[in-house]
Amino acid sequence: MPISRSNTRQNHLKLARQIIEFILEHDLSKGDHLPESVLSEACGVSRTPIRSALKLLEQKEIVQKREEGGFFLNLPPDALSADISSDLDDMEGSLAARILSDRAERRLSDVQSVSALVRRYGAPRSSVLNSLKILSSDGIVVQLPGRAWAFQPMLDTPNAIEESLAFRLTLEPQAILTPGFQVDSQKIGLMRQQMEEFLQRPDGKLSSSAFLRLDCAFHSFIAESSGNRFARGVLLAHQRLRLSTQKDHTIADFRLRQSLNEHLGILDSLERMQLQLAADQMVLHLRRSQIRKPQTVNRGILPLARGGSL
Amino acid sequence: MTKPIIALFPEASFGSALNCVGIAQELQRHGAVPVFLCHPGFNGVFAEYGFKEYQLPDTAPSQPQTEDTWQSFVTAHVAHFNQDPMAQLHSYVAPTWDAIVDTAIRAEDGLETLLKRIKPAGIVLDNVIMFPAIANAGVPWVRVVSCTETEIPDAHVPPYLSGMAAHDPARPAFEARYLEVTAPAHLRYNTFRGQRGLPPLAAGLFLEPSPYLNLLLAPTAIRHDRLVPLDERLFVFLEGCVREEAQFDPPPLPINEGPIVYMSFGSLGAIDTDLFARMIAVFATIPARFFVNVGGFLESYSQVPDNVYLGSWFPQPSIVSQADLFIHHGGNNSYCEAMYFGVPSLVMPYCWDGHDNGLRAQQTGTGAFLQRNDWTPEQLREVITALLGDTAMLAHLKTISEQMKATPGTHIAAQSILTVIS
Repeated sequence: MPISRSNTRQNHLKLARQIIEFILEHDLSKGDHLPESVLSEACGVSRTPIRSALKLLEQKEIVQKREEGGFFLNLPPDALSADISSDLDDMEGSLAARILSDRAERRLSDVQSVSALVRRYGAPRSSVLNSLKILSSDGIVVQLPGRAWAFQPMLDTPNAIEESLAFRLTLEPQAILTPGFQVDSQKIGLMRQQMEEFLQRPDGKLSSSAFLRLDCAFHSFIAESSGNRFARGVLLAHQRLRLSTQKDHTIADFRLRQSLNEHLGILDSLERMQLQLAADQMVLHLRRSQIRKPQTVNRGILPLARGGSL
Repeated sequence: MTKPIIALFPEASFGSALNCVGIAQELQRHGAVPVFLCHPGFNGVFAEYGFKEYQLPDTAPSQPQTEDTWQSFVTAHVAHFNQDPMAQLHSYVAPTWDAIVDTAIRAEDGLETLLKRIKPAGIVLDNVIMFPAIANAGVPWVRVVSCTETEIPDAHVPPYLSGMAAHDPARPAFEARYLEVTAPAHLRYNTFRGQRGLPPLAAGLFLEPSPYLNLLLAPTAIRHDRLVPLDERLFVFLEGCVREEAQFDPPPLPINEGPIVYMSFGSLGAIDTDLFARMIAVFATIPARFFVNVGGFLESYSQVPDNVYLGSWFPQPSIVSQADLFIHHGGNNSYCEAMYFGVPSLVMPYCWDGHDNGLRAQQTGTGAFLQRNDWTPEQLREVITALLGDTAMLAHLKTISEQMKATPGTHIAAQSILTVIS
């Protein structure tokens, strides 16, 4: 599917948010230089989109372009609160993100008409339609016959996340074992560097959203490397859906670190072309991720265990 | 010198499990090796914090947790949570003790085998019943009272699970009824103790104080003046046992203004989705941001208001530290966490020691109490608004919080445990 202008804008907004997280995570101060090369490496993209994202931040006066060259932080880090992200969301093109977030937070029902969305967001009809098209490209909504749009399954509840993991457990190890699996060593190096940097952060500073991005990037890489075009397509689409819709603030710091170390172990095996071992490690990794907190436990569970015969 | 292994055995509830996680994190920092003995269904909970787990053999007939199971549980039992503590003695407390005794009996052999295998230098028991294998393990054992202080009886302390004041005229009647309804389970339990070489316990008691060390999660601010003070060499009070937990960044809501209110009724409380829906409808009318823990029932909700955010789990210490009000069921861990972070509590108890903490919050100016189910939207709105604007309560809680943070319970607990085992 060709990349539309709106999609590009969305990507720049996403990158702008990543840059803010980078600033916060690295405790940068007002006036600090934000080298494009460093940001490009940290976000795993080329310098061109980084420059566009910095320009968006410049419009919001979060960064400043100086004549001596490059962009500099224009605000003290404590001013970079959630409000800034919300300001970014308010920028043109972010309506899709708001619709997505409201759906993930169960504010919107399964089927929506364009008119209802126009009323809810006070946005022009054309913007709403455009946003729905952006969401449909990620498989989040589909247009029904007529004017209604239906949301598709998302990773927005524990049960959905469980089903997603079961699905991935079926396919991801097989994607590694399919003939033609081939890895890009340069990408491995970049991912390893990003994961190791993340692991160096102290407990309490491990952001769940940053982890989710690293996690999706790693699993997308596995999908991209697969020799089976159908496995590749379906897994990549699923990782896009995860990145857009999964909300999970429940992972303890220990498990985040353990999970990233498992990624690093799999990358080691892939570099040595020990594919069977890597596939087994992937099974272990996904099974560990499947361990969820018990849903209902208490003293009240005991009467239930006796057959509920109070 | 090898590091001492400390086996922690919390009961199958999140309150005691996470209380023990806080202690274990501190034990680890002190150079010990904490490991967890866990009930089936709880495996993974402690591993997620980096601790080794040993699962007890399955001690109860397994029953898959399907939607139908839960629906039948809700249909059968939610009504009991609306009863007063006296009525719950028959409908809830007695069968629960019966089930707890069953668990202790079933767990015994497996626990004995596990302890022989692990060879701990000490055992930390955070439960409401003694497992004879622990008393017979030949190593010091520590009792943690992570429920309210009322679990250790005294004439000047309210009767356990009563929700009444210490000198309530109805006290004798409640105590007599408690002994009456728990008698069959108690008789069965004492017989079991005898078979395992332990002396019988007095009526109504299922767990003796440890002859080594007892840790009580009861901050100074809410502690009772006992008629017979507890022996300071054996009973150590903890000012709160807050674990280190993941960071929670509240996501921006469509209506992103006003104070933050966090609500959690524990994993069991979340089953009453009708009550939650009624409360959420009221929240929509209050100028505040509400973060609601709906447990495993997220899929039961739709049309969530723009100032409300639902989650299936929150890293509680992190969100409570950012909250202006905490609505909870009176679980002792939740109540203590609220005080630790200087946050007022609105206690809406379901059962067990929630009743005791509901009254205690009101008595000590640390929160308010509201019957769980019996309120009008106006009443709920009024009590929330009043708590959010109660500056005197906030100032009082600020002092309590400073006091609790100055002597962290996890640190005191770990030091006391290590002194006992050395």
